[in-house]
Amino acid sequence: MVEFKLPDVGEGMHEGEIVKVLVHTGESVQQDQPLLEVQTDKVNAELSAPVTGIIREIFIAEGETVEVGTTLLVIDAGTEAKKEETKLPEKVVSPDKTVHFAPARADHRRSLATPYVRQLAREMKLDIELITGTGAAGRVTEEDLRQFANRLQKSAPAKFPTSAIGNEHPLEASAVAVETEAVVQPKTGIAPRVATSSQGEIERLPLKGIRKKIAEHMVKSVTIIPHVTSVDELEMDQLRALREKVKPHADKRNIKLTFLPFFIKALVIALKEFPMLNASIDDSTNEILLKRFYHIGIATDTSEGLIVPVIKDADHKSIFQLAEEIEQLARLAREGKLTMEHITGGTFTISNVGPIGGLQATPIINHPEVAIISLHKMEKRWVVREDEGVIRWMMNLSLSFDHRLIDGVTAVRFTNRIKELLEDPNLLFAEMV
Amino acid sequence: MVVGEVAVETDVVVIGGGPGGYAAAIRLGQLGKSVVLIEKEVLGGVCLNRGCIPSKALIHTAGEYHKLRSLNKLGIQLPIEKATFHMPSWQTWKSSVVAQLNKGVDYLCQANGVTVVKGTATFLSSDRIGVETGGDFETYKFKQAIIATGSRPFIPSFLKTDGEYMLDSTDMLALDQVPETLAIIGGGYIGMELGMAFAKLGSQVTVIEAAERILLQTAAHLSQEVLKQAKQLGMTVKVATKVEKTELADGRVSLACTSEKNGSEIITAHKTLVTIGRVPNTGELGLAQAGVEMDERGYIPVTSTGRTNKAHIYAIGDVTPGPALAHRATKQGIVAAEVIAGLPSSVDSPFVPYVIFTEPQIAGVGMTREEAELQGYKVKVAAFPYRANGRALAIDEGEGFAEVIVDQESHLLLGMHVVGADASNLIGEGVLALELAARVEDVALTMHPHPTLSEVWLEAAEAVLGHAIHIVNQSKGAVSK
Repeated sequence: MVEFKLPDVGEGMHEGEIVKVLVHTGESVQQDQPLLEVQTDKVNAELSAPVTGIIREIFIAEGETVEVGTTLLVIDAGTEAKKEETKLPEKVVSPDKTVHFAPARADHRRSLATPYVRQLAREMKLDIELITGTGAAGRVTEEDLRQFANRLQKSAPAKFPTSAIGNEHPLEASAVAVETEAVVQPKTGIAPRVATSSQGEIERLPLKGIRKKIAEHMVKSVTIIPHVTSVDELEMDQLRALREKVKPHADKRNIKLTFLPFFIKALVIALKEFPMLNASIDDSTNEILLKRFYHIGIATDTSEGLIVPVIKDADHKSIFQLAEEIEQLARLAREGKLTMEHITGGTFTISNVGPIGGLQATPIINHPEVAIISLHKMEKRWVVREDEGVIRWMMNLSLSFDHRLIDGVTAVRFTNRIKELLEDPNLLFAEMV
Repeated sequence: MVVGEVAVETDVVVIGGGPGGYAAAIRLGQLGKSVVLIEKEVLGGVCLNRGCIPSKALIHTAGEYHKLRSLNKLGIQLPIEKATFHMPSWQTWKSSVVAQLNKGVDYLCQANGVTVVKGTATFLSSDRIGVETGGDFETYKFKQAIIATGSRPFIPSFLKTDGEYMLDSTDMLALDQVPETLAIIGGGYIGMELGMAFAKLGSQVTVIEAAERILLQTAAHLSQEVLKQAKQLGMTVKVATKVEKTELADGRVSLACTSEKNGSEIITAHKTLVTIGRVPNTGELGLAQAGVEMDERGYIPVTSTGRTNKAHIYAIGDVTPGPALAHRATKQGIVAAEVIAGLPSSVDSPFVPYVIFTEPQIAGVGMTREEAELQGYKVKVAAFPYRANGRALAIDEGEGFAEVIVDQESHLLLGMHVVGADASNLIGEGVLALELAARVEDVALTMHPHPTLSEVWLEAAEAVLGHAIHIVNQSKGAVSK
């Protein structure tokens, strides 16, 4: 018998939501056959059978959120399955083999750790088998566990979007549906509890799953980073005109051209000139990490919750390539097929609240990044040009930055540069790599 | 099911009040669960009532009685011929010991809020269990259940026990007189423990073992020490011998045996103990109604947390595959209780110590040299003899040795085994050392109190490192090929 547990896939996740159970009790499964779909850290992952055998029991239901290390199902190993093999999933699992407690006859190759440390590892949801011990003869110590947990945490940057990208607005990153920001009813099958206080009826909903994840990231980010937000406005007329000219060419190639690729290009140019905004701080060593690559996260709202897919090496891609990639990521997000690869490694995040509305915001930085830009509603406004009042397409942007690294002057110069490039797209093209 | 019956609701039902079941129930009580413990007979199970405790009481008594013979050389002059053993008195004393322990378990259950129900349990469904209690029938509805119904002696039909001539271990411990002659079918640890005890009490004992040697549970060179002592006690040990037929005549049992060595022979004894294994008590539980699966031998496969194929039903102890040992059941019971309460517990260790109360005692934990080599280790092995230990000689217990098996590469301890006086207590150090993933140096560098038997570990560990004080060291220890 093999206990199949929700694995820690090494991304610092603590829990996942069971999206789909693909097998049933009594079913024969082949090794590597997908068993479950789990949403982990806002990515859907297929978990596969570690062994060939028969599903003896399934302990979870679709919609349930379970912690890493929880037993999901039990496979009676060794039974030949007749089912056709299906494609390999991407996650590796570490099954918990049945222990028959044989005394001196058991396989004694084991994790070298004291009973207390082994218990602690279970409490910390760590797979002790994966940890290299630094103690004598390779013993895993309590300190090894803590170091391992810290490394896991660091390797899993928090991904929390702050807004929605709508499908009605030209700045959209994707054509995903917009949901309100009300707490999403978790799909646990547990009815919310309703109580009546002296003030009136109160409905209690469990804070769990993706919502809980976002909450944790928010608290962590705000706790660690001293946020400052600077707001500016852009004149969008020239960029709108340019987009209108280019759009038919994009349409011919079936590319949906939004404003976002232009923003990304302007942003990357500015980041190269202001490297502190494309950095992060290693809190454990007190070092600044200046990143010479430009991976831009696009905060996206999907029916499954808010996620931040990342466009890698945005500085190496053309406007059309960026548009295509944005569309592709949006589709994957809609279909719940984003992988950890798609949502990790960002160096700077763009959040677009424009489709919903609003004039300014205080976007929360996506730790360990050090800055985030929010784009707001595009609208016609009266503005003064050459001492005359004129109507222009205007849009605000809000930049939150980490005051440990970036001062107000730098931040304003940075947004000035973006403003300059977007208000005169000729300049943008002149500067583009 | 009775129509209109009212089921008593509880968080957890534990079926079986042995060392696994009552430990699980108490732990559940500690963790705030409502728990019903169903016991068919008496709390404590086989271990307390018919196994570990009474057998150790007999073995201790037999040992004390036997020692009288060697007191003379210590200067204690007794008319040995006047010493007698009165088994009914022993039964009274043993019963008082058992009763005291029963009371203790009962009190602990009460103190931890465990509801003890006396009766025979049968699953009615995956969340209900019926209990027959002397004419009454009660139903309990549970969220989780722990099956801890233990095991019973395996008696093949042609060796059918009758409680008078053909006996199982329970019958043996209930005798009110020492049999003049005793045949024991099965040279495992129960057979050898009881055989040696009765030999010390005056029985003429013959052990018949089908395998090539006695005490297959342990390494051959350890069991050899016991064999030597068995012969000194006047026991006859017949290995590679099969019992083909039994016959009762004139108040004696005749056993028709065959062996390659001796061909056919008849062994006659006043009493015959059949101890050739145990079978799990799973047949009458209604496991099918609960959906709990068993293997072809009737054992319930479980995971390291004790789960059966049903998520909410656990099994522990002798009903699960593995050695039928009380301490294993207790550990599994506590783990199952904690898992039910949401704690991240697991039976995550391969180290299940074994203790054999023969003469001398054998105890061990971890691998033997052979097992370690089979697993690909290059090993160093060293043994330290009791006769080089001051305390052992001072208490007239110079037989035996302690042995440590070490991974040559990392110096990790792979196994610790001891045959000799008080081995059962000495192995505690070994269990802890292996659980803590100790290296041989950890034992060698630890100051052991003098004069004690525990120094045998210190010296064996030092011997592996080539610098034991009280024996001449082999230059590099015993290195495997």
